[in-house]
Amino acid sequence: MANAIEVDHVSKEFRLQKDRAHSLKELITRRDRNAGTDRFKALTDVSLEIPEGAMYALVGHNGSGKSTLLRCIASIYRPTSGSVRVDGRISTLLELGAGFHPDLTGRENVYMNATILGMGRKQIDRVYDDIVAFAGVEEFIDSPVKIYSSGMFVRLGFSVAVHVDPEILIIDEVIAVGDAEFQRKCFDHLYGLRKRGVTIVVVTHGIGTVETMCDGAAWLDHGVLQMTGTGPEVAAAYMERVNAAERAEREAAEAAAAAEAATSATPLTSGVAAAQLEDVRIDRVELLGSDGTPTSFAVHREPLTVRIWYRAVRPVPQPVVGVALYSSTQVHVTGTNTKIDGVDTGTLDGDGHIDLSFDELPLTPGDYELTVAIDDRYEQHNFDRREREYHLTVRAGGRQAPEGLMDLRGRWSAGSGR
Amino acid sequence: MSTPAQVWSYRTLIANLAQRDLKARYKRSLLGWLWSLLNPAATLGIYTLVFGVFLEGTAPGTGDGDHPAGIFALYLFCALVVWNLFSGTINTSIDAFRGAGQLLTRTYFPPECPMVAGLATVLLQALLEAAILMFFMVLITNVSWTAILILPIFALLSCFAFGLGLVLAVLNIRYRDVAYLMGILLQVWFYATPIVYNIDQVEGVARTFIDANPMTAFAYAMRQAVYSLDTPTATNWLVMVVSAAASLLIGWTLFSRLAPRVIEEL
Repeated sequence: MANAIEVDHVSKEFRLQKDRAHSLKELITRRDRNAGTDRFKALTDVSLEIPEGAMYALVGHNGSGKSTLLRCIASIYRPTSGSVRVDGRISTLLELGAGFHPDLTGRENVYMNATILGMGRKQIDRVYDDIVAFAGVEEFIDSPVKIYSSGMFVRLGFSVAVHVDPEILIIDEVIAVGDAEFQRKCFDHLYGLRKRGVTIVVVTHGIGTVETMCDGAAWLDHGVLQMTGTGPEVAAAYMERVNAAERAEREAAEAAAAAEAATSATPLTSGVAAAQLEDVRIDRVELLGSDGTPTSFAVHREPLTVRIWYRAVRPVPQPVVGVALYSSTQVHVTGTNTKIDGVDTGTLDGDGHIDLSFDELPLTPGDYELTVAIDDRYEQHNFDRREREYHLTVRAGGRQAPEGLMDLRGRWSAGSGR
Repeated sequence: MSTPAQVWSYRTLIANLAQRDLKARYKRSLLGWLWSLLNPAATLGIYTLVFGVFLEGTAPGTGDGDHPAGIFALYLFCALVVWNLFSGTINTSIDAFRGAGQLLTRTYFPPECPMVAGLATVLLQALLEAAILMFFMVLITNVSWTAILILPIFALLSCFAFGLGLVLAVLNIRYRDVAYLMGILLQVWFYATPIVYNIDQVEGVARTFIDANPMTAFAYAMRQAVYSLDTPTATNWLVMVVSAAASLLIGWTLFSRLAPRVIEEL
């Protein structure tokens, strides 16, 4: 397959502005004129090829040069050395609603924005109704955009950009806008564009997106290309590095805390419990990793314990403790409680915890939200309910994760004959 | 480097940018478009009062010979239209480039586009003022075929001012002093151009200086064509063509070279 984009040994340097003359006076009076020309290398010798019709992701932490690379591809920036070859009409989605004028109406801004993205008047006329319908702002289209809610503003911007009918679409972390319904529409639309053969390049922090939607990916770190490969390959390698770094950080913090506790003489005083009306309430929820110590994220197919700390001011006999799980796109993945699972929680009194453990977490990498609740034994009275208050990030482990939200973990086998 | 052909291929964008500026300019104002007439009218009134009445400035007789004593207000108006086009283009260029900064770092289009759009809005305003000028000329029946020369004069002046505007706009991103400096320079330039006075009133070194000012040629040409109903001299045309070509060529080249680097600093 032909390549839509070829990035050939591209380096990009920026001059750091801190010491530069900003006025003519400084320019004339300053003696050491070369002292201020600090240079910052945003990209170092990056080469990659993006095949036509692919969905390609750039991953890396903040400041790794992803956006600079996107701008070089879109020829907004000129590489300091190396070259970028692009085959096709580019539409950029670096910021939604860029160029919207607050005093002009939605209609006027749609035409304006679409021409900025390179569309002709007749082309816009043809897709105008689709743009407005997609954004869902029909009622307000003849009002100035300054009265729009931020959501409407962004939806209209996105809608214009994806209707430009590009051959190459460049997106910088903007998919995560709007409500769940709009996000789904966006993904559906991107899927449609892809089927028509549009090449899509995205910068994303959503590792799930990289794994499930991208044909290829590149990983940048401090402007240096770490690896290129298929979406799942790059996502797995990237996450492994991030997980390791985070674990090391946590261990360092724990060691420091332990050292401090050893030297400190004052015992930890627990604050007087706040006036508590209900018999029991949820104090906090902790995630415990494979080694049984608190962690800030879970790993696909590795042990995980959800530890629900409670505080009971009066004895509570056999309460029902429940956990529900939602995806970041608000899909209700699953929900269960101690009654469904036939577990006797005994009588709660004082402080303690209830654990929900998994030997191998059957969730695919991505972000989830947890709802935790404690009801009485008849499920008639709700003591405490924390609606989607807890965040659960599942990361890729060493192996490739399946698509979707759940890992079904079924057993495959083959037979012959009929 | 953007070629004029590349810029031309973005003409829809240019038209839209110009339209946006025009539409947004008088939004939420009661008088709306009337402001674009009231502004020059007020300037013209003040200058006529101060320089024509108080300082007793004189104008030569009109071209048709009906008013041998001259009409100072119209004589002034001719040069003022030319000056407004010049200073308007420079100021708009500086503003347009800075204003488009946010867009230029987010999507690609030739950076000349917003400035060409700015020039278009200024030209529209100049044509409007010229139309009013011609309305008064028709009223006193002081018209001739030479009025058509307004168009080449405007075209050449646009090139001259736009070339300067390109350079100043790009410099202004690096050194914000440029915009302020131009505020002062344009004032000096205004009085160094025979607009509120007749060039024949000036002698000596000052005269040499004023003669060397390309704007003198533009103001003179406009008065010849519209007020005196005569054609500008050959030297006049030469000065206008050379200054327009030199300014545009140098301005465009410098802008194309510097703009991509400057955009990263916007």
